[in-house]
Amino acid sequence: MNTLSFIIYLLITWFITVHVGLIFYRNGKIYIQNLLHGDEKFTLFINRLLLVGYYLLNLGYVTMTIRFGKPLYSWAEVITSICTRTGKIMCILAVIHFCNMAALLLISHYHQQHATNKN
Amino acid sequence: MKTSLNFIAYLIYLPIVIVLTWYVAHILFKNSKTFMEDIFHGKTDIAHSTNKLFETGFYLLNLGFALVIMEVTSEIYGNRDMLEILSTKIGGFSIYLGIMLFFNLYLFFRGRRISKQKARMTEIQYPSLGK
Repeated sequence: MNTLSFIIYLLITWFITVHVGLIFYRNGKIYIQNLLHGDEKFTLFINRLLLVGYYLLNLGYVTMTIRFGKPLYSWAEVITSICTRTGKIMCILAVIHFCNMAALLLISHYHQQHATNKN
Repeated sequence: MKTSLNFIAYLIYLPIVIVLTWYVAHILFKNSKTFMEDIFHGKTDIAHSTNKLFETGFYLLNLGFALVIMEVTSEIYGNRDMLEILSTKIGGFSIYLGIMLFFNLYLFFRGRRISKQKARMTEIQYPSLGK
């Protein structure tokens, strides 16, 4: 039952991470391009770097958290442990995501101020 | 010995919570597109991608929170217990979701106000740009 719960947990978190990563990758491209005033190559580079960093961080953390946990004896325990862990991972993802967006916003503000100062 | 109803409680709780979150996010972000287009002065692509990013963040945060608070630590032995615990949990989650919804709306209104102010400022500074 333990092994089964690990497999289900890994499948769910892997799916969520990859799916969300792809959404960010596709939609973040325009964002970064806007920030860099349309520098195509640099945008692609930064975007891919962010994606790889995101995957490494999350999949690494997901795989690490497998160790922490009590042995499971019933289906209720299995479902509890899977859902609680997945929930934690999702909360962490959300926090990282909002931090990222805040950083982008700050950078764009900084750029705008720079531009107005030059004028 | 009676079997505990925890497992059944989880099976009821999970679909309700997921459907609730999906419904709220669907309604909110279908209607927020207009706000986004206002905020970004009609630049459709960046408005849509910002909308999508916010939507994903909303899903992650709320579903994550719902899953974290799912665990019932005590054993449930009767239908009445199960109903009470479930209603407390789902009600609490709905209130949380409502607060998040209004927080999001506040953010959208604030963004729109700021972008309108900015547009007015540039019009005052460089009148030729506004036309």
